[in-house]
Amino acid sequence: MSFITDQQTLNDLNLLGKHRRGSIFSLFCKVHTTGGERLLEQFFRHPLTDVEAINERSMLFRYFAGLGLVFPLSGAQVEAMESYLESPGQGNWPAAVWHSLRGKAMATLVRDETYGLLREGLLATVNGLYVLYAFLRELAARDPMGPYAGRVKAAMAVLEDRRLAAVLGDQRPAGGFGDQRSAGGPGEERCADWSLLTVARHDHLLRTRLRPGLESVRNVLSELDVFIGVGNLARANGWSYPRALSPADNIVWIEGLKHPAVPHAVGNSIVLEKNTNMLFLTGANMAGKSTFMKAFGVSVYLAHMGFPVAAAEMAFSVRDGLFTSINVADDLSQGHSHFYAEVLRVKKVAQAVSEGKRLVVLFDELFKGTNVKDAYDGTLVVTDAFSRYRHCAFIISTHIVEAGEALRKRRDNLRFAYLPTVLENGRPRYPYVLHDGIAADRVGMMIIENEGILDIIKKKSN
Amino acid sequence: MHFITDRQTIEDLNIFGKRGDGAIYGLFNHTQTRGGAVLMEQLFNEPLSRPEAIRKRIGIIRFFAGAGLSFPCKPEWFDAIEQYLANTDERTKLSHEDSTLGKRITGMITQNTEEVVVHKGVAALVELVHACKGFVAALAVEEMASAGAAYAEERVTLEELLQDVAFAGVLRESPRKKLAFEQVAGFDELLRFRHRGVVRRLLDRVYYVDLYLTVARVAVAKKLAFPTVLEREAHTVMVKGLYHPGLADPVANSVRITPDNNVVFLTGANMAGKSTFMKSLGIAVYLGHMGFPVAAAEMEFSVLDGLFTTINLADNLGMGASHFYAEVLRVKKVAEELNRGRNLLVIFDELFRGTNVKDAYEATIAITEAFAGKRTSIFVISTHIIEAGEVLRERCDNIGFLFLPTRMKGTQPVYTYQLERGITDDRHGMVIIRNEGILDILEKGNWNES
Repeated sequence: MSFITDQQTLNDLNLLGKHRRGSIFSLFCKVHTTGGERLLEQFFRHPLTDVEAINERSMLFRYFAGLGLVFPLSGAQVEAMESYLESPGQGNWPAAVWHSLRGKAMATLVRDETYGLLREGLLATVNGLYVLYAFLRELAARDPMGPYAGRVKAAMAVLEDRRLAAVLGDQRPAGGFGDQRSAGGPGEERCADWSLLTVARHDHLLRTRLRPGLESVRNVLSELDVFIGVGNLARANGWSYPRALSPADNIVWIEGLKHPAVPHAVGNSIVLEKNTNMLFLTGANMAGKSTFMKAFGVSVYLAHMGFPVAAAEMAFSVRDGLFTSINVADDLSQGHSHFYAEVLRVKKVAQAVSEGKRLVVLFDELFKGTNVKDAYDGTLVVTDAFSRYRHCAFIISTHIVEAGEALRKRRDNLRFAYLPTVLENGRPRYPYVLHDGIAADRVGMMIIENEGILDIIKKKSN
Repeated sequence: MHFITDRQTIEDLNIFGKRGDGAIYGLFNHTQTRGGAVLMEQLFNEPLSRPEAIRKRIGIIRFFAGAGLSFPCKPEWFDAIEQYLANTDERTKLSHEDSTLGKRITGMITQNTEEVVVHKGVAALVELVHACKGFVAALAVEEMASAGAAYAEERVTLEELLQDVAFAGVLRESPRKKLAFEQVAGFDELLRFRHRGVVRRLLDRVYYVDLYLTVARVAVAKKLAFPTVLEREAHTVMVKGLYHPGLADPVANSVRITPDNNVVFLTGANMAGKSTFMKSLGIAVYLGHMGFPVAAAEMEFSVLDGLFTTINLADNLGMGASHFYAEVLRVKKVAEELNRGRNLLVIFDELFRGTNVKDAYEATIAITEAFAGKRTSIFVISTHIIEAGEVLRERCDNIGFLFLPTRMKGTQPVYTYQLERGITDDRHGMVIIRNEGILDILEKGNWNES
């Protein structure tokens, strides 16, 4: 069963989109290969719901972060290699010869570039495979029993194919990890005197006969790319690897939670469990409620992907899905007001929750599209109704502190927290540190007084 | 001094509109000429603040609405004329040497485009001048029939322009007759170069005529009313049968605001029509200050210095400001304008909704009370915090309480859109939540952990 979420949630948390500014995907997209990017996108699109699978992937990230490897190929190398291997080869040996022959003839006659490109692609691939082989060999030698050793050995087996040995050359590299990039390979000089027939033979071998094997090598390359990239990113930022627990444990526990796109953020800790499965978050408008909720949502999502999270430590029960309602846009084209759009959003989540799924639900500023009093009533009854679903985890934020006071009297499974506003020389300052309780600070009138509006109006006009 | 307003107000009232849909400008933007349209936009950008100027424009448009004249010129003339006049290059001047036989034969085979522009431009100008002459004569007749004749002054200007030496030759020709090459060359010299300024002034007058006729036509077609302009010191806005000109089937309301009740405290449910009423009032006052007809049965207003509305305030999260802070800054801006001694119409829809109930309550009372001290301005404030209304009723004697009622038909709310006196605590946020069945869904759901 796949992890349930929706477009609104993905947008709220700004998860996907390579070119969206500040998206979590773009943050993690430190890959060199298009295969790696595809794999990363697949990870992002399909979070896991199986405890074992999550922990296994998480462990691999931790393992690679520990190794601190550098991806062995440069971007240009990878690009040339990928475009060569992805283009179709000739079906049989005579056709490959004919293709090369024709290309070479065209190059002489009309300066056609086909043959030149073929030769360059072939050369780049041979070099790339040579470097990759050296890298894998080193990896296997370093940790023969490591969690990724099986995949490494499978890829090495393909590259050790007898036919390939002729292409890659006999002098298998023996150098250390430091210099794979510079370590020779067949080298430009050796390839320069490849005859047309040699080119055709190698081309046929790589693109046709060994194609299935090389596909699997490329898959290993993509995986290495993602694991090394993300692992190093996590290590550089000091992120941690969440521990997935069984759904029955019904807990989310995060220490030092930050938003990954806000590097110097203040870390906050939060626990939601069976008996306190709902956090009622209050605080002034600029106190950081939305950022905290986004950080929480992003971490839960990343954790279900088996990815590292921007927190000191995290353990969580695997859930069925995640829904957020942070920036609900009004759909005026359908004649819906902002308030109605919010009501429909709450309804959608209510339906998912009522089906008995174990969800994480985040509502930021519930019913902000209406007047204060409707928002108060609405927040109260809706929060109250949701709070009975103890197998779900909720965070509900509002600036209407009065609703919190009323809920405290009704339910025992709510935790109350607030992000405070501190007055400094009459100016509000926001420390972004979560405190227990309901916000008592009344910034509203204070801001009005600070701006001196009443004085301006009452002052005798001149 | 200009009438003061700002971008927020223009957007709230949808004066220009984002894509021109349903905009107030779009309602009137039916001029025949492009010059008229430019002029229309200019008038919309610059409402007037002198009573005499407003009265005069209202008078002119009212005159045209009653006069049953039609625009004397064809729109295509202006395209030819504007293109022609835009070219001030002396080398394109037609000269008599051009009329050699050889040149003419070449011209018959390959048309020189610049020359074509000149020929068309001159021909169109000749027709235009003749049409204006006829129009002026028709105007004089109309003016005899109606008393006061607000346009008379501008008509005289137009008449004098036509008597200018620049047009003497043109008027001697009969229109629609094909002009000889030499004549075109002569008029070209006169109209495009020597008397260029006079021609431009004539065109401007004609564009004004287009504008007046257009607005008058819209006024008649939509049955708009011509407001009566009072002196500044009256501090009064009285509207009967006020409605929103952008709505297909609007409901009319009447309101009378004087220094004795210059603060209107408006309550009502979310969809009961508060915003629409506030926008209607804002639009009527705006159009009134432009000297345009308004969407009402009858209107009297004293001239104000400016208009500020806060109806759809966007929170500028990009700048880190919250909704509440945006509201506070907006109030501050209005307060500063008031402090300069300006008489304004101030409209606040749903004041302080970006904060908690208690802050909203206190802030609404404090701000409304302070506003009430400014008796020469007019305030319309809507809110859901009816408790603030009760307090304000005791503290100030110049607040008028109005509400837009909701009648329940079973579980469905029905709105009359008719203002009534008093305060209402109608809200239907909870009704919508209940109607969508959210609580039932959660109530009946599978909440016992399986």
